[in-house]
Amino acid sequence: MGVEILTGQGFWHALVWFAAALGVFLLSLAIWSMGRREFRRGTEAELPFVSGERVEDARVGAPHLYWGFAEALKPFLERLRNFHSGFIGDYVGWFAVILAVILLLVMA
Amino acid sequence: MGTHAPILAIAVPLLGGFALPLLARFHKGLRDAWAIVVALFVSVCAGYVASRVLSGEIWIYVLGAKNPVDTLAPGGFPIRIMLTVDALSAFLGIIAGIIGPLMFLSLIRFLPEEEGKTLSLTLATLLLAGIMGMAYTGDLFNFFVFLEVTSIAACGIIGFRTWTSRAPEAAFKTMLLYALSGLFFLLGVAFLYGEYGALNMAYVSREIRGTTVDRLALALFLSGLLMKAAAAPMHFWAPDAYGETPPAATPLLVVNTQVSLYGLWRVLFTLYGGVLDRGVGWLVVALGLLTMVVAAFMALVQTDLGRLVAYGAVSQIGYMMLGVGVGLVALPGKPPYALVATQGGVFHMLNDALTVGLLFLCVAAVEWVRGTRDLRELGGLGHSLPEVGLCFLLSSLALAGIPPLNGFASKILIYEGSFGLSPILTAVAVLTSILLLAVFVRAFQGAFLGPRVEVGKKVPWQLLLAMGILAVGIVVFGLVPGFFVEKMVGPAAEALFSRSAYLFAVLRG
Repeated sequence: MGVEILTGQGFWHALVWFAAALGVFLLSLAIWSMGRREFRRGTEAELPFVSGERVEDARVGAPHLYWGFAEALKPFLERLRNFHSGFIGDYVGWFAVILAVILLLVMA
Repeated sequence: MGTHAPILAIAVPLLGGFALPLLARFHKGLRDAWAIVVALFVSVCAGYVASRVLSGEIWIYVLGAKNPVDTLAPGGFPIRIMLTVDALSAFLGIIAGIIGPLMFLSLIRFLPEEEGKTLSLTLATLLLAGIMGMAYTGDLFNFFVFLEVTSIAACGIIGFRTWTSRAPEAAFKTMLLYALSGLFFLLGVAFLYGEYGALNMAYVSREIRGTTVDRLALALFLSGLLMKAAAAPMHFWAPDAYGETPPAATPLLVVNTQVSLYGLWRVLFTLYGGVLDRGVGWLVVALGLLTMVVAAFMALVQTDLGRLVAYGAVSQIGYMMLGVGVGLVALPGKPPYALVATQGGVFHMLNDALTVGLLFLCVAAVEWVRGTRDLRELGGLGHSLPEVGLCFLLSSLALAGIPPLNGFASKILIYEGSFGLSPILTAVAVLTSILLLAVFVRAFQGAFLGPRVEVGKKVPWQLLLAMGILAVGIVVFGLVPGFFVEKMVGPAAEALFSRSAYLFAVLRG
């Protein structure tokens, strides 16, 4: 009861999703079970591979994640950061800009 | 007592907040218990009001009349102060009723006694009173008063950590912008009062003709409330404020932002519903898109876990604006997709309060055990704090709109509703959700994965209990969304389109 919601274009039903997710899980399990079985826990196979050198306790920290993505977008992100200057004068300035836009829209 | 539930939901926290310092002089435990009792009382009142109102009734409570249902003074004029609780107001009351007690539960343990805990609890109680007042009032000037109550209380909480340099600075900036927002709202009220000689929303709504003064007042209301709702590009204060507030208190600040958004809907749908141009709806939609995209990109480059979650919270404001904005654009024709999108926007307010609330409580737990929120220093906490890690992952997935959690239930309504207006809106919303998923996976990886890190302190059970309740809410609202859409969200969204019913309930004709 109450599981389904109508979205206008269709519907969403959590139980249907669970059934589909179960199907995907079983399929994944079947594919996984066909894999090679040499892996052993506690052996070198568990060690991270970083540039061909053996590094114990290697960890990729959060700032390194999506580094390439952020680097590619650097000009855009830097500009966006500059907007968030921390200066209250800038904040009030943006408020004035939006007020002007709203006035133009509403009074036109 | 039931007859007076709407006013008690405001008066009890208002007076109860001022009683806290007195009780603290006797016993600190008494003060903590009182704060929770007051918040629970508000929840009971909000629940009782909702149980009556969500069935379709509009509950009018008149102050100063012999009978609290006498809306019109002799002469047929609605001059008295009036609470007008329709399904949308009751819905906001429910959100505050859920978040309030959980926030106090975690706050009483999280705040150190020697750092002004009593004052902070007092401010939080007043903030709760202001939120309930904004949600329930049917009077423009009273709305302004409660807006100010929330502003002052919120700024006090933001600047609570006076010994740091950043918190007072964030509080000062927020205070200035809140003051600007309140001032513009008050100016708008003054214009309408000068023109119609009344402050009652229903009365002014009936009389409003779309004159130049009305339009000027609309511009003032819009700019003031958009600022307080943290819509881009006026959102700059929000990450500063959310990031510097003690994280256990931030969930109520999120509700404070939402109730400002509610004020915006009330002004646009109820007050100006009869004379509004589609252009205003498009403005709300455009600012909604801008808010979600800008905040999601800014979250990507954060290294402070608190600020990252804060930007995530701001991006969710954009989704609410998109959903309800679509309803606003389509208001004259009222096609089916408009109601679906509005339902999504309204539902997302509740879901956002749960998911962002849980995320901030997770930040509080991390800060409690490690004393830092810097992602460059954090890592490996999943080994020693598995329950916190699980809650963070759950709320992150919900915020990104991953099925079958609550965030998905409201976002699919927004996606499909906005698709009816333009597929481009849906595409931007979906892509932003993907970006948010990436951002929060990064945060989870940074804080909870990696080699084990030993922690000296345990997370207080009060904080874990509050987190557990919110986590259960996220799952339940996601698994049976149809029940909540039918019983709560649907009536709340319908209330936005039922301006005539609102006017009739107050003006009797």
